[in-house]
Amino acid sequence: MRQSLPLLLGLSIGFILDISAFGQDNSLRVIQSKGALVWGADQEGGGPFVFPDEKDPSQRVGFEVELAELIASHIGVTAQFAQGQWDKLPDLLDRGDIDIVLNGFEWNSGRAERYGTSIPYYIYELQLLARKDDDSIQSWDDLITQPGGRPRKMSLLGGAAAEDFTAAFAAEHKTTIELALFDGVTDAMRAAELGTDRIDGNVQDLPIWNFYRRDFPNLKPVGPPVGRGFYVALLRKNDRQLLDSVNDAISVGLRDGRLRTIFERYGMWNDAQAMRALETSADGGFRGLVQAEESNSTRMAEGGSETDATNRPELSSSQSLHGLKVITQRGWFLVKAAMMTVLLSITAMPLAVLIGLLMALMKLYGKWFVSIPATCYVELVRGTPLILQLYVIYFLVPEVVKYLFPGTHFSISAFWSAVAGLAINYSAYEAEIYRAGLQAIPKGQMEAALSLGMTRNLALRRIIIPQATRIVIPPVTNDFIALFKDTAVCSVITVVELSKEYYIQARNTGAIVELGLLSAFLYLAMSYPLSLLAGRLERRLGKESR
Amino acid sequence: MITLNGIVKRYGSQEVLRGVTMSVARGEVCVLLGPSGGGKSTLLRTINGLETFDEGSIDVSGTQLIGGDIASREAALLKIRRKVGMVFQQFNLFPHRTVLENVIEAPMQVLKQSREQAVGKAKELLARVGMLEKSNARPTSLSGGQQQRVAIARTLAMQPEAILFDEPTSALDPNTTAEVISVMQDLAKGGQGMIVVTHGMKFARSVAHSVHILHSGAIVESGPPEQVFENPRHEITRGFLMEAN
Repeated sequence: MRQSLPLLLGLSIGFILDISAFGQDNSLRVIQSKGALVWGADQEGGGPFVFPDEKDPSQRVGFEVELAELIASHIGVTAQFAQGQWDKLPDLLDRGDIDIVLNGFEWNSGRAERYGTSIPYYIYELQLLARKDDDSIQSWDDLITQPGGRPRKMSLLGGAAAEDFTAAFAAEHKTTIELALFDGVTDAMRAAELGTDRIDGNVQDLPIWNFYRRDFPNLKPVGPPVGRGFYVALLRKNDRQLLDSVNDAISVGLRDGRLRTIFERYGMWNDAQAMRALETSADGGFRGLVQAEESNSTRMAEGGSETDATNRPELSSSQSLHGLKVITQRGWFLVKAAMMTVLLSITAMPLAVLIGLLMALMKLYGKWFVSIPATCYVELVRGTPLILQLYVIYFLVPEVVKYLFPGTHFSISAFWSAVAGLAINYSAYEAEIYRAGLQAIPKGQMEAALSLGMTRNLALRRIIIPQATRIVIPPVTNDFIALFKDTAVCSVITVVELSKEYYIQARNTGAIVELGLLSAFLYLAMSYPLSLLAGRLERRLGKESR
Repeated sequence: MITLNGIVKRYGSQEVLRGVTMSVARGEVCVLLGPSGGGKSTLLRTINGLETFDEGSIDVSGTQLIGGDIASREAALLKIRRKVGMVFQQFNLFPHRTVLENVIEAPMQVLKQSREQAVGKAKELLARVGMLEKSNARPTSLSGGQQQRVAIARTLAMQPEAILFDEPTSALDPNTTAEVISVMQDLAKGGQGMIVVTHGMKFARSVAHSVHILHSGAIVESGPPEQVFENPRHEITRGFLMEAN
């Protein structure tokens, strides 16, 4: 120890000097000295990009795995995978957890402004998908129509180019298309296939559709692919050295045909890639954005839409916004989303308390064939996570109904799925709270009520439950505030509440701090009055019975 | 009015009531005496079904409870509890209700009386036990004696043929004991039938029509108070009386 301390000091000083000597950018050296390039991607529903190997699920395969290895070996290090939720990957980059994002991130001006973007490694297109049995969607133009006065509803991966493209398409045709935003591509396709929550279809990156099409036999592609764009690697803005090496690796890989080999292995090679490969190979750099975007609009026109290339809105709505400006421009979205948070909470909590009370009564006063199912319910619900329960209600229940009653069209809206999930999840906790509350009432209370000729039910209703309710108010309030915050989990089934809206707006503007503070303030502004109200209620009811 | 016939109650292998037979006439004031643990309270609580029993039968004005019979019990109990009220050692007033609300609860909910009718009767009964001015108080703000008097009024509101008193003064200090005893004496003189489990000899001497001495789950001696107190025939009665005095 005595010797290692000065050594450590020396090293640290050397490190600091190193930084000052080479300016801010020593990104490449840092990676070379640690011997690994840490690349971030989401393997959940990640085919053909990154997904667990069927033979050995602890290993990952996918074209981006091979691409990462290609880049890493070019730098002379090994590739090290880091899992992250897709739309949070840039945040991991900002935090310094990863060195590079390689996960089908589409180039757009917003991303290019905030991050170092590599030259494209793939040209993607978007594919409109609809159910095979749905004849009302034959082309993109059918999305403009509103059968029965109801706007079309598309399931999409939140934050992906498909979202921007679909939104821009709707704006361009002055129509409304509802967007149900998912965190995973397979969830989005499944919802479209099932017609969950009245979802009509899905817009998907073509490689993803090609990879998963066998898993969704009831979906069909509609019209030719549209919205051509570029997958690029994202890096921290200042990591110029690393960016140069990454660009170099991609160029070399394109020229010597190794990228082509990788893409062919995953059935992703097509004419577009060949054309772009030529463009890029001319000078080894990436110069093709403008032409490609133009050809993309042409492609749209060929696809039967009435797109006018000159009027076409900017594909990406992303822009950098900061400070007070972002609060005034985007704050209202957060306030509106906060209303959804409130609505979810005040609908779900009374239901949770009611179910909880019922379960507690069944457990305490029911015969065995009543109390055992109640006990099972409480243990099952309490022992499984909310997110899983939401999935089951949103995805599985409609499927089970479909299976049991073929031909019926049954779906639960995302909102009511969320309410049901929250109510069921919290009912297990409320049941235990109420059980404790009921047991805290002295036995003499029930005996006195029975002695006065009351039936057991009447005694429970008039004497026992009212007293137990006073006892459980503090813990139930506590749970209400917890449920209030747990509404954030409901975003996995596309409910846009405060947290989800925050992610959407923060991703869109880059104002992570400003909007984060505003969201935190909104949560506090809603939960604190609730605490005060509960405190008053507690004191008032307490006075009555003491 | 109340007939107990060979009541046996067991906790596991231990017999806490060993074939108790007794009867109480309409309007009779009956006192159960005896050392602690003799089964007095348990016996009292079998009469209105707060305790089950294993053998024997109980008849209350023609409604029968049979030992070990669970199936037909609930319906019979509802009938019996309409005729027989109960006053507890710990009062058991409803803490979330005022004094008046405690008294009108059962008449309104069980007998379906109108609020007007129930309140009228309740005020009359609260006046009778000297608690009218506390009508709007919460039970927890009252002394033990006051609470017990309200509990008596609450039971009376159901117009029971008999009232079971389960050690009604054991949780009270001597001063408040006196107020409760005096209320009970008034009731007894007014012809209210009652079965009283108590340690207080005074009440038994002054108003009881009959006294039963319970020991180890069995009645060892019964009779009018003069006879039992002045000429106890049984060893255990004599021992108990000596200790009590």
